[in-house]
Amino acid sequence: MRDDPSVIALVARAANSDQDAWNEITERYAPLIWSICTRYRLKNQDIEDVGQNVWLQLVQQLGKLREPAALPGWLATITQRECLRALTAARRAEDAGTLDDALPVVDAEIIEQEILAAERNAALRAALLELPLRCRQLLAMLLSDPPCSYAEISATLEIPIGSIGPQRARCLERLRRSSALTRLGAGEMRVNLPGGEGHG
Amino acid sequence: MGDDWDDERLLSALREAQRARQLVPQWFIEGGQSAYAWHNIDAQLAQLTYDSSHDQDLESIMRSARTRSEPASIRALTFTSARLSIELEVTADSLIGQIVPPRHGTLEQESGDGEIATVSIDEIGCFCIQPVPDGSFRLRCRSEDGIDVVTNWFTL
Repeated sequence: MRDDPSVIALVARAANSDQDAWNEITERYAPLIWSICTRYRLKNQDIEDVGQNVWLQLVQQLGKLREPAALPGWLATITQRECLRALTAARRAEDAGTLDDALPVVDAEIIEQEILAAERNAALRAALLELPLRCRQLLAMLLSDPPCSYAEISATLEIPIGSIGPQRARCLERLRRSSALTRLGAGEMRVNLPGGEGHG
Repeated sequence: MGDDWDDERLLSALREAQRARQLVPQWFIEGGQSAYAWHNIDAQLAQLTYDSSHDQDLESIMRSARTRSEPASIRALTFTSARLSIELEVTADSLIGQIVPPRHGTLEQESGDGEIATVSIDEIGCFCIQPVPDGSFRLRCRSEDGIDVVTNWFTL
């Protein structure tokens, strides 16, 4: 994933004044910045400042990033720096008595997991968009919380209940073969599977 | 990928991907998108390089040196970019600043809700913002000779 050509292409397009590419970058990586801010337990106001500062630095670095493919790691580093800055400022505004407490340290391994999760999640969301409409509708119903029953799916999508299972299998197989998930690479998928250990 | 992922695992991974995205409020995404307005703008980013509040010893000295007759300087900050720095002092009722090296220009104070207040920077590079900004804001300094610098967002 660290040499994901789609990230390199997005960065290059955004550096070349393509707002759509920039929007896709923010859509992809906002969850990573957000998750790191919540790891540092920032308040929403501080998260807003951190987000602005991180994006502003990225805007200014677009044409200069030495390794565009390493963007998620770069964003994570900048975000952590801005989080610590925000915490220091917030702490100062509070009672001086708390100033001696050490700033929270978020383990590098946790941040690394957040990066991997963000990359995997972004690839999965991109993979969904590659599917035909019927597959997207079916998976959306299966993924809704709580999941729709086969009876509801059958009524809404006008397909017999008996063919939902086979269609589900075909759609998921297409998803596995999507370019977004193929790029993600088998190695990345074996580590940190969701559903095993608790997330967040 | 994922030939080793059965359907249930793949579905649970998709659910997790959606959940992670849904946790992020729309305003946060939109804030990221709007940052692109700064693309190709020549304003340089000035980073916070000094904050007296990070220097507790210095601050306690300043506190103890405070007298009733003169307004105490309660906090000092410096933002630095390649071409100039912005030095700030926070007093009880104002934010006093100086551009180094000194030059004439205008200073915009942008608050979190998008409001922009402009003050002038005099010939020795000094400006004064009253009252002290409440909440997060950033400063953009444009000198008459064309230097354009914007600070990070910060809160005093």
